[in-house]
Amino acid sequence: MAVEMRLPAVHKHISLAASQSNQDDKHLVVPGDVITSDTGFMRGHGTYMDEDRLTASVAGEVERVNKLICVRPLKTRYNGEVGDVVIGRITEVQQKRWKVETNSRLDSVLLLSSVNLPGGELRRRSAQDELAMRDYLQEGDLISAEVQSIFSDGALSLHTRSLKYGKLGQGVLVFVSPSIVKRQKTHFHNLPCGASIILGNNGYVWLYPTPGQQDEEAGGYYTSMEPVSLSDREVISRLRNCLLALAAHKVLLYDTSVLYCYEASLPQQIKDILKPEIMEEIILETRQRLVEHEG
Amino acid sequence: MRDTPLSNCERRFLLKAIEAKKRLDGRQTYDYRNIKIAFGTDYGCCSVELGKTRVLCQVSCELVPPKDSRPTEGIMFFNLELSPMASPAFEPNRQSELLVTLNRQLERCLRNSKCIDTESLCVVSGEKVWQIRVDVHVLNHDGNLMDAASIAAISALSHFRRPDVAIQGRDVTVFSPEERDPIPLSIYHMPICVSFAFFLQGSYLLVDPCEREERVKDGLLVIAMNKHREICSIQSSGGIMLLKDQVLRCSKIASVKVSEITELINKALENDRKIRKEGGKFGFAESMPKERITTLKRDDAPVEMTDVKETASDIVNRTETTTEAVPSPVLVAMGTAQVGEGIVNSWALDEDEEDEPQTEDRKTGTVSDVCFCAVE
Repeated sequence: MAVEMRLPAVHKHISLAASQSNQDDKHLVVPGDVITSDTGFMRGHGTYMDEDRLTASVAGEVERVNKLICVRPLKTRYNGEVGDVVIGRITEVQQKRWKVETNSRLDSVLLLSSVNLPGGELRRRSAQDELAMRDYLQEGDLISAEVQSIFSDGALSLHTRSLKYGKLGQGVLVFVSPSIVKRQKTHFHNLPCGASIILGNNGYVWLYPTPGQQDEEAGGYYTSMEPVSLSDREVISRLRNCLLALAAHKVLLYDTSVLYCYEASLPQQIKDILKPEIMEEIILETRQRLVEHEG
Repeated sequence: MRDTPLSNCERRFLLKAIEAKKRLDGRQTYDYRNIKIAFGTDYGCCSVELGKTRVLCQVSCELVPPKDSRPTEGIMFFNLELSPMASPAFEPNRQSELLVTLNRQLERCLRNSKCIDTESLCVVSGEKVWQIRVDVHVLNHDGNLMDAASIAAISALSHFRRPDVAIQGRDVTVFSPEERDPIPLSIYHMPICVSFAFFLQGSYLLVDPCEREERVKDGLLVIAMNKHREICSIQSSGGIMLLKDQVLRCSKIASVKVSEITELINKALENDRKIRKEGGKFGFAESMPKERITTLKRDDAPVEMTDVKETASDIVNRTETTTEAVPSPVLVAMGTAQVGEGIVNSWALDEDEEDEPQTEDRKTGTVSDVCFCAVE
């Protein structure tokens, strides 16, 4: 097997987006920075009182709503909101519910009453259903779900009560930071390049080959184990590298930016996308196209 | 904080690789990772690196009244701590099963094997004895904490020096290190733990599992042995059924590994002793390599070179010889030369040209991208 070798070289950073319109005065703080000495403010998340001075405890942007000051951190675990689409992995099977790991502070909960029964029936869950839980979702399975509500301690309650949610089959999972996934109306996209993507709000992005025929009855159960063709796999690999490139340069992820990045990367080989210089070129082109598209 | 769960495909990949006798870092089945032993400036302070797993051990002593049941013996106290620095899964002040297992195994390995002569720790029988306290801190968890902890503990105990005492009747004088040289502990033998991880219902075993391999293991066998081939303790966990010849084979492997590791410990102790005698600089700062912030630092990665020659000659034979890359210049006219032929002009394509087949276009198309040198 031939291996590519490169020597370390001095790397000149192209200053991207140095003068963009949204570069207005953002109040950025690091832990320990004094936000204000005015005692009239109420302190919110991410702050603490240090001898009459409101000090930041996390690194992020200061947000002020009337009299409430809080600091929203840049790098944080996923904080759920009702209605978000998340991708998670089952860690435990308990009585009448599953525990799902979703990159948040606490494991999320998927109640048995929040999943669709096979065949789409609507009935009360019986003891038999409880015993058959493991046949549906086991430890280690990946699912896509929506946040139904938030418990008082911050844990999320998920549901898969729609045919588009459920167990995920063959595909590639990419981890990015939750703060760069853009909030949109829909998070399920069938990209024209030949693959489909689910952009989870919790930073987990799922790439999978576009299913041929939508099996209406199966819903979230049926995971096809047929071998995926080479062309599909190449498209998914390229998309995965593009996602890593976008995440490294902190570009907001949504279907348009992913698509532009994919098209900008077509002249390169798939494995070359991960090289820093080529990554910068691709992201520069993507950014330009995004700015034109908006303008 | 709970560790990120291992995905199903990672698990399958690891098990498939183990079936094919391959490990993640390229080691063989019975290979240990690189062991680095460093001693600090104080006597009894030892840091061991087993690959990326790092463990720090500190030995200290104190004069205490002895146990009622054993008035003429000193006391050995072992304490192992899993700090959150080692892994996000370790929480402070949480008594996890792993912690209890490691503590018990360390105690069994060092105390029950009677490797330290506790009678020599007695100062005044029934009243004052030395209590030797061994504190092991895990600094980084990359698998196989037990082995690293046992190596660190026994190295630190061998390195430790206790203060000299003089007894006159009932008066005990403890001399400080400046007044009289401190005395080493009397150690009979060095028990060292060797861990074997079993996979796929005991059909495959690995020595010195790394963190990923530990997550998919079925069971663990820890054998504590010294270089005289005496087994000090055996512990099997995980509930797998082991055959007799498997256990015997493991003990044979363990004896080989233990003799290597004991040699390494003795060499490190010898080096430290020499440097201290010559008056050179000793301690952690000297034994760590100079890590400059600005340079790119990477550990040496082992590369498998078994069939490199055949593969290289294969590739060379298969590739064709490259044609002349640079064409020679052609003198077009006086003062103008041309190097190479350009590609097809793709700027302005007329409508009727599109109907013609592409191949013809390439040969008769207008020439562009040509290097013209006009010489005055």
